[in-house]
Amino acid sequence: MTEPHQPVRILGFVNHIAPAADIETHIATAFGWGVDVVVAQGTGSDWGPYWLGSGEQVAANQAANVRPYVKAALAHGVPFVFSFGIAGADAHLEACLAQFDALCAAEGWDVSIGVVRSELAKPYLTAALTAGAEVVPASDGAGPAGRLSVADVEAADRIVALIGPEPVMAALERGVDGVITGRALDIGLFMALPMLRGIPPAVAAHAGKLLECGGLALSPGDSGQCIWASLDADGFEVRSPNPAATASVRSLVSHTFYERAHPTLEENPGGCLDLADARYEPTVTGVRCTGARWIERPYTVLLEGAKREGFRAISMLGVREPALLAQVRDWTDAAEKTLRESVRFAGAIDDGRLRVSTRIFGLDGVLGPAEPEKMVTGHEAAVVLDVVAEDRALAEEAAYFGFIRLFIGPYPQRKTTAGNAAAPFMPVVIPVSEVYSFSIYHLLPLTDPVAPFPAAVTRFPRGRDDRREGV
Amino acid sequence: MRLYDCAAIIRSKNAGPFTVTVDIFFDDPAMFALARGSRLLTAAGVAEAYGVAPDTVKGIYWDERILAAKVSLLRWSSSTDRFCADLFGAHLHTPLAAGVLA
Repeated sequence: MTEPHQPVRILGFVNHIAPAADIETHIATAFGWGVDVVVAQGTGSDWGPYWLGSGEQVAANQAANVRPYVKAALAHGVPFVFSFGIAGADAHLEACLAQFDALCAAEGWDVSIGVVRSELAKPYLTAALTAGAEVVPASDGAGPAGRLSVADVEAADRIVALIGPEPVMAALERGVDGVITGRALDIGLFMALPMLRGIPPAVAAHAGKLLECGGLALSPGDSGQCIWASLDADGFEVRSPNPAATASVRSLVSHTFYERAHPTLEENPGGCLDLADARYEPTVTGVRCTGARWIERPYTVLLEGAKREGFRAISMLGVREPALLAQVRDWTDAAEKTLRESVRFAGAIDDGRLRVSTRIFGLDGVLGPAEPEKMVTGHEAAVVLDVVAEDRALAEEAAYFGFIRLFIGPYPQRKTTAGNAAAPFMPVVIPVSEVYSFSIYHLLPLTDPVAPFPAAVTRFPRGRDDRREGV
Repeated sequence: MRLYDCAAIIRSKNAGPFTVTVDIFFDDPAMFALARGSRLLTAAGVAEAYGVAPDTVKGIYWDERILAAKVSLLRWSSSTDRFCADLFGAHLHTPLAAGVLA
């Protein structure tokens, strides 16, 4: 690393959220201040395990979202760094890269991209485990417990690592126009170029934490807007390129709270970011942020793995009949009981191949057992019979059986003998999707943070041969 | 007085798949002080509000600079569960918000 002689200026946004309509004006403002790298995250676990397990990609069109930013970066000759694919395994990254191909072709761009994949092959992990790697759970008291086993790896449908800044730094050093990764630590994307230019990890990580959600850290917060910062050896200044928003001490400190269990401590690969003594001072143009500490730790990456649990089918019914609303949970309990006791389903329920739950929106659909209200207080409610079974046929059959019991099942003081509730959808049983769990949420120690995640420098739009090979 | 009525912002969200965090921002220093001295915003008070064990409350934090509090607890049902009703954890502030500050 070299001593930083010049500030490193970052333009940040979120690439899984569509940019605001006026974004090109604000991008131009930021480039007027100077930009050395454009960075945006587009992966996360907040969507749950479905996407990771299924390999399907959220319909966010991340390539379209980056268009105005890539256009500006190319025009100014500065690199961009994006993570793509939400769950961020190879299938998701490839879906985004195919859209990026089309974007480059449509715009007439010819760019070299360092593509960094972060899906880990099962043989790689089983070899690490066999060699004695201690892969411990990352969550304390919830989520997968116990050390990662070879059986866990084999049972998972797909496993990704949240790569740190190092593989991105290695890719940037190859002089590419941009780096596109799969699943990655959000702040690591922001840390990469500053660290290459000698900015201390504490400053780079602190800035990354404030920039990672784009304009959300401004006031008013909006992830469809961008955010700008200039980093030096001691700290950084944050500004809002959008004149309708401002960077304020409160908006920035509030943002350090966002989606974090602890307000000032954050464990990252190779270190802990400590903001206990961070200082935020208003400037004429924004807010100056200093005082972060980086406490070195052994290098680990977080692994996320998903495993198939079954197939979901639902049936939905609207209830507006007062006598039924007054006893709606008793009525759905009776339908569930009939289903559980029927000879067709009892065995599957007993051995866990079939599970049934009934949500009642208008009663306890949001909080479940934690809901203090025990009666419907409004004039209508929605009943969602939710079935997860080992396969689609069983899920649909059980959901239909449950629907019929709800539709015709007797209840005390019933006057509605021609049908109990309103069916809004046909088919009344809606096949939803395969169902997955997070079966792996563990920390993998690495001696070399780059080696498992090499960059493949690729020209976009990719040629026919590349596309055929699915590179 | 309910916490909901004292706070300018009260929001919840996942902090990783298995933890939910509730951020509370106050406009009035007196309300911040009332909350900070309350039983509701203790591990025992939070556990009672959600009907969970006190050792699943991971922490309650205060920031005087911006008049803010943060409450983090393990999720009793998360996106890894088949029948989780709030995948992003965006509505889990409600039991705490309904709690009364002494």
